[in-house]
Amino acid sequence: MTGWKSLQDMVVLSKPLPRLEAPDKVAGRAKYTQDMHPKGMLYGGLLVSPHPAARVLNIDASKVRRLPGVKAVLTDVHPTGTVRYAGEEIAAVAATSPEILEDALELFEVEYEVLPFVADIESAMQENAPRVFANRSNIRDARVRSEGDVDAGFANADAMVESEFRTQVQTHSTLETHGSMVYWDGDELVIYDSTQAVHGVREGIAKFLDMPVNKVRVICKHMGAGFGSKLQPGRYTAIAARLAKEADAPVKLMVTRKQDFLGYGNRPNSISKVKLAATKDGKLTAFYAKTYGTAGIGTNAGIRLPFIYDIPNWKHEHYDVFTNAGPARAFRAPGCPQASFVMEQLMDELAEKLNMDPLEFRLKNDSNPTRQKEWRLGAEKFGWKRRNSIPGADSGRYKRGMGLAASIWWPGGRGTKATMTIYPDGTLDIKCGTQDIGTGTRTYMAMVAAEELGIPMKRIRPMLGDSNFPKSGASGGSTTTPSVGPAIKNTAERAKSRLMELASRLWGVPVAELVWNGGGVQMKNNASKKLDWQELCQLLGTDPLEVHGEWVEGLSSRGVAGCQFAEVTVDTWTGRIQVNKILAVADCGLILNRLTTESQVNGAILQGISYALLEERHMDPSTGTMVNANYGDYKILGAKETPEIEVIFYDEPERGVIGIGEPPTIPTNAAIANAVYNATGVRMRELPMTPDRVLTALASRELAGKED
Amino acid sequence: MVNFEYFEATSLEGLPQLLGNNRNENVVMAGGTDLLDLLKERILQPKRVINIKKIQELHGIQNGRGLDIGALTILSDIAKHPAIRKSYTVLAQAAGSIANAQLRNMGTIGGNLCQRPRCWYFRGREYVCLKKDGSKCYAAEGINKYHAIFGGSPCFIVHPSDSAPALMALGATLEIYGPNGRRAMPLKDFFQLPEDNLMFENRLAANEIITRIRIPEPEPGTRSLYIKFKEKDSMDFAISSVAAVLQIQGNRVRKADIVLGGVAPIPWRAKAAEAELQGKELSDAVIEKAAAAAVSDAEPLDHNAYKVMLTRNLVKDALLRLRSA
Amino acid sequence: MSKSNSSNKISRRSFLKGMGSGILSTATLTTGGLISKEAAARILGPEGETISGRTVITLKVNGKARRVAVEPRTTLLSALRDRLDITGPKEGCDRGHCGACTVLMDGKAVLACMTLAVDARGKDITTVEGLSQDDSLSPLQKAFVEKDGLMCGFCTPGLVVAATALLKENPNPSLDDIKEGLAGNLCRCGTYPKVFEAVQTAAKIMRKGG
Repeated sequence: MTGWKSLQDMVVLSKPLPRLEAPDKVAGRAKYTQDMHPKGMLYGGLLVSPHPAARVLNIDASKVRRLPGVKAVLTDVHPTGTVRYAGEEIAAVAATSPEILEDALELFEVEYEVLPFVADIESAMQENAPRVFANRSNIRDARVRSEGDVDAGFANADAMVESEFRTQVQTHSTLETHGSMVYWDGDELVIYDSTQAVHGVREGIAKFLDMPVNKVRVICKHMGAGFGSKLQPGRYTAIAARLAKEADAPVKLMVTRKQDFLGYGNRPNSISKVKLAATKDGKLTAFYAKTYGTAGIGTNAGIRLPFIYDIPNWKHEHYDVFTNAGPARAFRAPGCPQASFVMEQLMDELAEKLNMDPLEFRLKNDSNPTRQKEWRLGAEKFGWKRRNSIPGADSGRYKRGMGLAASIWWPGGRGTKATMTIYPDGTLDIKCGTQDIGTGTRTYMAMVAAEELGIPMKRIRPMLGDSNFPKSGASGGSTTTPSVGPAIKNTAERAKSRLMELASRLWGVPVAELVWNGGGVQMKNNASKKLDWQELCQLLGTDPLEVHGEWVEGLSSRGVAGCQFAEVTVDTWTGRIQVNKILAVADCGLILNRLTTESQVNGAILQGISYALLEERHMDPSTGTMVNANYGDYKILGAKETPEIEVIFYDEPERGVIGIGEPPTIPTNAAIANAVYNATGVRMRELPMTPDRVLTALASRELAGKED
Repeated sequence: MVNFEYFEATSLEGLPQLLGNNRNENVVMAGGTDLLDLLKERILQPKRVINIKKIQELHGIQNGRGLDIGALTILSDIAKHPAIRKSYTVLAQAAGSIANAQLRNMGTIGGNLCQRPRCWYFRGREYVCLKKDGSKCYAAEGINKYHAIFGGSPCFIVHPSDSAPALMALGATLEIYGPNGRRAMPLKDFFQLPEDNLMFENRLAANEIITRIRIPEPEPGTRSLYIKFKEKDSMDFAISSVAAVLQIQGNRVRKADIVLGGVAPIPWRAKAAEAELQGKELSDAVIEKAAAAAVSDAEPLDHNAYKVMLTRNLVKDALLRLRSA
Repeated sequence: MSKSNSSNKISRRSFLKGMGSGILSTATLTTGGLISKEAAARILGPEGETISGRTVITLKVNGKARRVAVEPRTTLLSALRDRLDITGPKEGCDRGHCGACTVLMDGKAVLACMTLAVDARGKDITTVEGLSQDDSLSPLQKAFVEKDGLMCGFCTPGLVVAATALLKENPNPSLDDIKEGLAGNLCRCGTYPKVFEAVQTAAKIMRKGG
């Protein structure tokens, strides 16, 4: 097996190609789970708990069942009857129209015993706070990680900064909510799911419903985004399957926008009490962090400190805190944007104390060879030198500033299988049980095959999003491209071998004397003896050739470095932070499709800006419910908040394929926060940096006088 | 939405009788953008929805001596109208600042004046607040960063309309059609504070509708503008907004009309600021004083003190811009 | 369209219980000069049309008259998606916050989720499906494809329709005009930079008559 061609030799790969499904998507032809509508389909819906903590004493569904048009009702969907967050599934119904469904959901009579709750992390941490789980403290045991001798590290330092930072709960809020359309085909269950993992959902639903895995099929051709919230099988899918069985009809159950906000994923918040120290020549010596985060009733609210810098001595104690809120789910670079907000600001604070330029300080403490180059490249392109030397020195209403921050990512490729079917007419199918969550998977599957075989893209039909296809992992952790890319290449290589065997048999010469050239086969020492692709495929007669391949080592790797630079204007009269420009330097090994890769980096940055400036889940203290569970009050960046973005790819094709979906969302918030400080001389220690916080911070500095 | 009956009226006559006195039974639909939201959340559960869009006399803009706008004129038509942009700038800017292009193509000026508050406790079904006959205002001690800094008690909603402050600053009068025919009501008398009526933000009777909005022709030397501050520029309601109309003669302010949006349960006339400006030159000092006066009686809640600073600065910004206009 | 049809449950003044058959109308009362139109209306209620319960209406969608059974509370979005299987317009929020359901109504961009189906009668409704003929995409749609103005693609139909309306009104938009025109369309994947490029490219091509 060979490695990838060099960039110069590539004809298709690494070029900017439009995605193959784009014409269907721009014309409204692409069918998402939400769009499925087989004949006789019923509309399923969930009744969820309005209370953050309660015991379900009784569910009276008699009025629901009497409503004409109601075809199935479930009142046993909650596993324990003890509700721990507003939004938990209590009952479900399937009806013949959306209107009847809506009426039906009004008719459930549920008797709750309302229990005390904790709406947010502060109240959950108080002594004698109501417990989320009766037998467990709200504050979980510490997870402690450390390296070196922290006390000695601080003792040997010349300068130290100490601070507290807070980040908010962010919800995934994918445009297509979570949901499935399911039907029974005899004893087989077919599920259309808006998911990042067709195989994972198949396995999970089989387990939920106690069914053989091979009787469950999950399909997802197009899906309205996930960002980590659609990696797991949904209880709603199992509920839909039960409704479909009871009603003997297909059922579509898409959760409502509000339900999606409440129960189907969020990024945990964080409170970080941190210390960082260095010698006077700017070498970091020690770091200490005590952090808290809530994943609602879930766990893993960790924050990935100490982030990226070389710190010989450090200790991080983390505590997950339970609250009566929907469980967190993996969200684009879990734990990392929080860490960047903390560490990159702390780095800037320490650099200022040491009287060093933040960039210079980073170069001294970042041993990653790629990032060393990226920092310099980015600074040069961005014009880092134009930066205010004295933060906040600008007079007047509008203040401009620049900031920077780093990114990082770890995982690489993993087991993925694929099948290629080559038809005698020269067309071919590639099947892989991965999914395209908007990342261009389908397109680069065809590109990899086209490059390897030397045939036009239009002969290739890439097929994915079906659990009947060979297994691939979930589309998460930026693992998809380094998993699927190599698997397709491997499959294409094997197909080539098989086709060369056909030629070898035809000509009666050993395969060793043949060479693959431009989509066909020729004799090594006689270029005129050749078969083009069409002729080769005709040798198949009437039987398509089926070839299986898989992910192999050597075509992908792990580890992403990157950095971003932000320029902002702060309106000191309104507290509005306007991002003028973000420059991202991104490495991701061999880029398979330059166009869709750029889109991914843009999207990651924009989500980073949105996280930095706008998004925040608000929990009402007196009721424990989310007050802004809608797209109007939960504010997400739109067209007018989109700044100029410049993406510089730092190509490292020799490293093979590496994922890029997550790393560029990590540094954006911190680069902006550092730029705000550079603009105003005021440090924002809490996300999101909304006008209320900015104005308040500016005002309190004025009151305190200019100490810095 | 509950299953209501739909009536599409083609004439005004008889409409008050049909509307009757029970606001919860019959509701008027114009653009529908606010109404459908309330219906979908089941905040409103009417028996009948009366679509008035087919009533021709409620449409159209007439520009002569003053402006006469049909209540059903869509916001995008107002924002783009050349004469309104020129002579009633504050109104064009306000209309253009509302929601987004799609909603401005749907929402009407009459509907914008009558829209209900965006308070998330009012909009959320699970909160039985004062406006829903409940016993407490959840915002008073809850999450109130967007709530009222003026005139709040006992309910701290803010009036969400952008066109209302603009029209009030322009001295608009409403033509209202009711059981006794037409009557005129100055817009300044239209809105009411929660302390006067908790349930409804205006004095339109259940059996009345707004038919036309009339604005007097601006006096010579009048200049105006609308500044709306949103947390998120792409579609948001005002955290605070300023509608300012100044008539300047010589160097002096002959008449100042300053109405604030997004800060009180009704469009909030900044009387103290107007008084500071009266008869004065627009010097920096006068502008500072007027801006400070605009918020001198603000009573912020736990999470919205920033709105006081913000509003003061917006008033200052508005006056500075009008000075150089 | 405005003709009464009781089998359709569309009728004039059916709310006036006991007022009889509809023979009595403002016109019959007033043409005889017996009483004023206003006085008659006071008895009879306003002129107009009532729809209650499940009713078959006709919607003109993408140039075709389509009969569809709706309730008064059925939104245009639901009528299109759930009844007519026209699923280009997407339901992102069902509250007018995201723009995924944007359609053209008499040429203007509006939100189908905040429009009652019965209120869309008599209007020309164009969904994203109506912007391309057979397999040939509009110049704007082509530009979206070429510039990669989409990722997951769920918001794309709404963006394409909103941008179509924008270019119709303003064939030479500035970047700020484009941002303003698309401010009501939420894209959670963050494709905006590429969408802006697509709209600018299409504008150029369309101005040249492409």
